[in-house]
Amino acid sequence: MKIEILKNNLKNGLEVVEKIAKKNLTLPALSNVLLSCEGNFLRLDTTNLETSISWWVLAKIKEEGKIAVPATFFSSLINLLKEEKIELRSQDKNLILETKNQATQIQGMDPEEFPIIPKMEKEEIVKISNQKLLEALSQIIEIPSISQIRPEISGIYFSFKKDLLKVVGTDSFRLAEKTITLKEEIKKEVSFILPQDAIRELINILSQKDGHTIIYFSPNQILFENINEETSHSRVQVLSRLIEGEYPKYQEIIPKKYKTQIIVKKDDFQNQLKQAGLFGGKISEVKLVVQSKDNQLKIYSESPEIGKNESYLPIKIKGEPIEISFNYRFLISGLQNIKSSEVIFELNGEDGPGVLKPVGDESYIYVSMPIKLS
Amino acid sequence: MDKEELWQAVLAQIQFGVSRANFATWFRNTKILSKKDGEIIVSVPNSFSKEWLSSKYHNTILKILRNLDNGIKIINYTVQLEKPSRTKSKSISKKREELEINQLSFNEFKIDQETNLNPIYRFDNFVIGSFNELAHAAAWAISDNPGLVYNPLFIYGGVGLGKTHLLEAIGNRIVENFPKKNVKYVPAERFTSEIVRAIREHEIENLKTKLREIDVLIMDDAQFLAGKEKTQEEFFHIFNTLREANKQIILSSDKPPKAIPALEERLRSRFEGGMIADISLPDFETRMAILKAKCEEKGIELHSDVLEYIVSNIQRNIRELEGALNRLLIFKKLNNKSPDIDVVKKLLSNLINFPARSTTYKKIVQAVAQFYDLKGGDLLALTRRKEIVRPRQIAMYLLRFELKESYPSIGRKFGGKDHTTAIYACEKISKELENNESLINEMGLIRQRIYSESL
Repeated sequence: MKIEILKNNLKNGLEVVEKIAKKNLTLPALSNVLLSCEGNFLRLDTTNLETSISWWVLAKIKEEGKIAVPATFFSSLINLLKEEKIELRSQDKNLILETKNQATQIQGMDPEEFPIIPKMEKEEIVKISNQKLLEALSQIIEIPSISQIRPEISGIYFSFKKDLLKVVGTDSFRLAEKTITLKEEIKKEVSFILPQDAIRELINILSQKDGHTIIYFSPNQILFENINEETSHSRVQVLSRLIEGEYPKYQEIIPKKYKTQIIVKKDDFQNQLKQAGLFGGKISEVKLVVQSKDNQLKIYSESPEIGKNESYLPIKIKGEPIEISFNYRFLISGLQNIKSSEVIFELNGEDGPGVLKPVGDESYIYVSMPIKLS
Repeated sequence: MDKEELWQAVLAQIQFGVSRANFATWFRNTKILSKKDGEIIVSVPNSFSKEWLSSKYHNTILKILRNLDNGIKIINYTVQLEKPSRTKSKSISKKREELEINQLSFNEFKIDQETNLNPIYRFDNFVIGSFNELAHAAAWAISDNPGLVYNPLFIYGGVGLGKTHLLEAIGNRIVENFPKKNVKYVPAERFTSEIVRAIREHEIENLKTKLREIDVLIMDDAQFLAGKEKTQEEFFHIFNTLREANKQIILSSDKPPKAIPALEERLRSRFEGGMIADISLPDFETRMAILKAKCEEKGIELHSDVLEYIVSNIQRNIRELEGALNRLLIFKKLNNKSPDIDVVKKLLSNLINFPARSTTYKKIVQAVAQFYDLKGGDLLALTRRKEIVRPRQIAMYLLRFELKESYPSIGRKFGGKDHTTAIYACEKISKELENNESLINEMGLIRQRIYSESL
């Protein structure tokens, strides 16, 4: 292998792919990045056997070939270089890097030892704007918690139906659902569960550039692809395994009606909750009281060791008066993903789920279970 | 050589040419899925293994297999995802439970997706007393021998006395004892909406095939089938199919089959064809045992006069017992001390004083009407239709004995009838109550509705 490449292009690619290349005792090859020549591109591959990332950089190929080198090490080295133009060449199992003023030699490994990234039969296709997908994933990513008992809810659920994509996450105490409208209807209904890690990498990639992501389905893996608009070649691909299992019938959890509905200014609500949360004690309990006669929301918290806090917010009320307790962190993590200035908060009795949604936007729903009232 | 031995032979030979790490990574959980007409299908746990085996070891594997069996021509690889291993890390979940003792979670998630059973309902946390021992014994026998002893088993009893607990415990124990049996728990209401959905989406045949594959069908709250003719008809056929194939059927209801209104006769007689067991109200000692068991479960110690106070004041509903205990638990958490009897009286005042012995004319009429599947107005209408006359007499009886209303005022309430009509009704029912078992039962169930908060 012998190529010439621009340092910044290589650096951008390595920064993305190196994240999943971790030390692995049984398979040392996994801490490497595989460099290989493909047409006019240098291709970078890393994998942890669950998620794989491939990146393409435009390069001047003088001699074809491939080599695997330690990913983190290589990335730090490239980061430190001053020169713009780099020459890379392989010599046995070594990678030689030369610029105008310096030469380094990195010990790599036999590229044949590197896992083969599975190919996808590219059939079903959905195209979504990066920005929309990024927004949806960021609103859901923090919610699932790693569960050994219920692996299927530790992932993020995607459900494509007609022209809608629903992205869902839950940790069994709360649940968020985001709906994206697609430009075209898809032919077949598809749903799958992806591991949280793969989504994290995807969010990282999507946040770097506008454009479109194309999603390819297959029964055991999913591929997300970003096209480079200048070269109309694939810029990056994220391939992920699926989590086996059936996602719970979560629609049953989202209440169709409410007993009490309040509308409150989002920022004020969030701030007051944070303040009350300071007094919430170990279980972060904050009590909310809605009395229909005075159009006020009382936020109250107390713990024997800390003290107590009480505040009032003006609200609009429909339905029954109620007293209910929540873990304030759960409410705040829902409110953080709401952009509207006012928020709708619907309650279903003191031990029923509470629902947060933005005013004037039906695409996001956040459901949280309360704390049993004391 | 069968396919297991064949693959073992391949692995045995291949391990010499491969590094240990590679062997462990790429050959883990592989096996021969099928062998037919010279074609071998090898199943691998993920796409990486598939790529690796097919591009790096294909020739070696083929060569070894040919040596063992020269009829083999092709090898194909297919990915079969690993079933997630359900490690039951109880210690972790328990620790979490303590931390989040009062944080409610989505109940839907505790339920097993395949069977719809909730694992918290087990036999070992079911308290047995004279009021439920027959039902319990039948349930236990069935979970030892599903389909062979009592089929169907029909359990009835009032709200909050543990019908669902017992039903789900049977299911959970069968799953444990016979992991291959296909157990399905379905509340009648859900069953109805499934049928309706299937009819609408023209999938009724699919649904039927699916239901016929069930080995143990558990239907809760069967009284909701009342008046739903199409559902009853489908259920009738499924019932017969399952029954004939010796598949176990278990039903529960808030009243005996005879008393379920608007239930087709052929279905009713089938419900009665197996074993009918009732769960009545628990006596003082049993309630005490239940409360003590619950205290232990939740790790709270209460003084004996507190226990006695709760047990003697909450009589009709085990769920309410638990509710009372939860209140005390919260008090203890906030104040770091066990509540004494005066505090308990205050804490439980609205649980005990409010519903106890306080009901209204409206509630009685509504409860009786609901029980017999009539509209509230029907009872008050001037008619002598048989299906109305009797419920009306029962309502009159209840007004007299629960509210101590005078006969003339009872007569006036029911469409201006004479006080003698009311006297006649009360006497007739009183007399019948002396020897009519099923009426006693019905009366108990109606009383429970009258005093439950949900009405």
